[in-house]
Amino acid sequence: MNMQTTSRLTVAETALIEAFAQQIGELPGDGAVIGTRDRLLDDLKKSGLPTRRIESWHYTDLKTLLKSIPDATAVAAIDPIAPLVEGATILSVLQGSADTRTTVEGVDLASFKERLADGSAVSGLTARGSDDAIGRINGSFVRDGFALTLPADLQLEEPIELQTLHAGGQIHTRFPVSFGARSRATIIERHQTVTGEAAFVSSISDIVVEESAEATWIILQQQGAADTHLGQIRVQLGTGAKLRLFVVNAGGKLVRQELRIEVAGEGAELMLRGVNLLGGDSHTDVTLVLGHNVPHTNSTETIRNVVFDRASGVFQGMIRVAPDAQKTDAKMACNTLLMSDDGDFSVKPELEIFADDVICGHGATVADIDRNHLFYLMARGVPENKARAMLVNAFVAEIVEELEDEKLVEALENVISIWLETHA
Amino acid sequence: MPAVQETVDQVRRIDIDQYKYGFETVIEVDKAPKGLSEDIIRFISAKKQEPEWMLEWRLDAYRRWLTMEEPNWARVEYPKIDFNDLYYYAAPKGTSGPTSIEDVDPELLRVYEKLGIPLREQEILAGVQTSKVAVDAVFDSVSVVTTFKKELQKAGVIFMSISEAIREHPDLIKQYLGTVVSTTDNFYATLNAAVFTDGSFVFVPKGVRCPMELSTYFRINEKNTGQFERTLIIAEEGAYVSYLEGCTAPQRDENQLHAAVVELVALDDAEIKYSTVQNWYPGDAQGKGGIYNFVTKRGDCRGARSKISWTQVETGSAITWKYPSCILRGDDSRGEFYSIAVSNGHQQIDSGTKMIHLGKNTSSRIISKGISAGKSQNTYRGQVSIHRKAENARNFTNCDSLLIGDKCGAHTVPYIDVKNASAQIEHEATTSKISDDQKFYAMQRGIPEEEAIALIVNGFVKDVIQQLPMEFAVEAQKLIGISLEGSVG
Repeated sequence: MNMQTTSRLTVAETALIEAFAQQIGELPGDGAVIGTRDRLLDDLKKSGLPTRRIESWHYTDLKTLLKSIPDATAVAAIDPIAPLVEGATILSVLQGSADTRTTVEGVDLASFKERLADGSAVSGLTARGSDDAIGRINGSFVRDGFALTLPADLQLEEPIELQTLHAGGQIHTRFPVSFGARSRATIIERHQTVTGEAAFVSSISDIVVEESAEATWIILQQQGAADTHLGQIRVQLGTGAKLRLFVVNAGGKLVRQELRIEVAGEGAELMLRGVNLLGGDSHTDVTLVLGHNVPHTNSTETIRNVVFDRASGVFQGMIRVAPDAQKTDAKMACNTLLMSDDGDFSVKPELEIFADDVICGHGATVADIDRNHLFYLMARGVPENKARAMLVNAFVAEIVEELEDEKLVEALENVISIWLETHA
Repeated sequence: MPAVQETVDQVRRIDIDQYKYGFETVIEVDKAPKGLSEDIIRFISAKKQEPEWMLEWRLDAYRRWLTMEEPNWARVEYPKIDFNDLYYYAAPKGTSGPTSIEDVDPELLRVYEKLGIPLREQEILAGVQTSKVAVDAVFDSVSVVTTFKKELQKAGVIFMSISEAIREHPDLIKQYLGTVVSTTDNFYATLNAAVFTDGSFVFVPKGVRCPMELSTYFRINEKNTGQFERTLIIAEEGAYVSYLEGCTAPQRDENQLHAAVVELVALDDAEIKYSTVQNWYPGDAQGKGGIYNFVTKRGDCRGARSKISWTQVETGSAITWKYPSCILRGDDSRGEFYSIAVSNGHQQIDSGTKMIHLGKNTSSRIISKGISAGKSQNTYRGQVSIHRKAENARNFTNCDSLLIGDKCGAHTVPYIDVKNASAQIEHEATTSKISDDQKFYAMQRGIPEEEAIALIVNGFVKDVIQQLPMEFAVEAQKLIGISLEGSVG
């Protein structure tokens, strides 16, 4: 790892350090938690925000891109919004504070604030490696969130929606969730703004999927056009566990979403699907580090991106196959529609393979809409702009359909359609 | 099948333990004192009878190099190199520069005979019926002989050692040297600019199709010597040239450094085809010894409709750090990269290409085949960059890795940056082992396992082998099966 010498702090770095000094008295946590927070901030101070010299931040120079941090002012009360799909139980985090009045039958539920206060959350706070800037920021500042434990054999028919709403300011949340053996559930993690005020958001989900459990996790990020979103998903997949992870980015000004997934049990399966809708002058970076650590596991990853305006997008996808992980089957694809000459997209699909009996592959394409497809529709009387919209929609909707849950598919398609109507 | 038996035998012959170019030649040498300083650079420049501006150019580079840091981003590991513990100049005594074949030390000629490199023009004529190959032979720090110079001259082609070219064609050197790989480009290229001792110079004038294949043969012989050669190839409007380099070194316990720079310039409608068969000593089975190969190769498609194609067969060196690239500046220009990288034993390869699309309607194609065996690490690292104004750029990339054995690693690190919506980029990569189905198919037809594997490997790299000039394809095919023996099971 490159050593960084930080001589001068940027405006954003200074603001972070000052915010910590101001908030430390009121941040929840016992002695051990406070000690960890201090250490994390100290590391952040020493190394600064990551620059492109840190390989995993090659395309997102956070030090340059993060211009400022909005003040952490208390804002008027926010009301929860309607769930993404009907029937879902909403667990809301409003302006960074969990509303603990709702319960879900059969699920062991606590606010993350309690976990901080009693010190039980301390081990999860540490950063994962020297390039884990999100871990450092979130670990220093996290205030609340939800800790969910789904006991073994629990089958939830309706989804749980973790609804994070904010009206600007600084929001730091965390969601440790474990799916017990053979349990089955769908969780929707939603990040949304209710005003146009700038927000600085960091959020970490710590997901454990135990033996033979089946989890569906959907991330819907619809933050404001002035917002920063630093998200991190950490996943541990046990023996025979299945995870379907859907990530939809349709908002934010500066977005970095890290997916750190460890496939750690034989027979485990991961299905990752991503849709990134990029417009305005936003910068969105989805970075996947996927470790296949044991024999006989498989994964498929498909990421679809659409870039409008002056937006810039990044997908980094590293698949790492450990020496003993024979019979790994991992396939990754990243397809991008670049709709504007002012936009750009960078892809870095990486393979790091130490076992010989594996099938691993990745594909990446960047292109404009296929002229033949456009011609096909226009020859049938569809006007060009309409034809383009149809093709873009089809390009991303294809991914969403793989969810195979009618209500969810419809809801996400709706989100995509509305976004495309306002941006295309 | 006789062909298969032949392949297996070829493969056996080039097993890592059977590196047949590992002999050392005892020959009287003229050496610069050990170490690196401005005085050493002055010594080299004086030895080469260089003009003052060339010395200044070198010293500038050296001063810049002192401020630079060794790059550490590649996936290669090696102990720190003490750049002051090397000889930067070693030349066989009595060779002040390339001469006619009659003047070359017979001992040296025997070396090249042993390596299978034809230096006597009449022998070449007798031996090869299809076409002639002109050779520039570089031994440690100097070019010992360049063949077919006269015949090439008739066609207007200049082919000589770069030291000679600096003296005889200073205008061309001043115009082109360092314009593709600048003296500030990177740590090793800057070091090379300061201390390069020889290399080849090719100039193909407007409208000339070079009448024969050109090639340079590099040999590192002396102990503790770094080889720093510099090659410059210029193809003027409508010119064509095909060039091949080959490399070997004696078997030694200590590591040796090789840091070369190759610059290619293609003007309007010109085409340069550059092929490399790199077979430096890879070290022994325990990973002791071997060449550290840190090379900067770049082609500049400066003119419209120009084309540069790199083909490389990398089987040697303990460490390879090499990214032959194309800058597609001219409209409608085209860059190609075909690579086979075979690693075995403790070899570490970090190699790939860069395709920088600047002009309109530019296209590039990357085919990379990596084969890892033994305890080696083999990384493809490449970049495809489409700049804002590069309308209608097109790229196709395919990198496949094959793993033989479970102690080695195969890695793929492509960077794709697109800033123009009209671009069409396709990238695909796969990693697999030889499938049991493939093996079963061959074996149940009576082909023994090892032969079956050699057969499958040959099929795997076929796309690239086909790009080599015919004369070298056979040689390369022998090399690629390197040391499959023992790693199969």
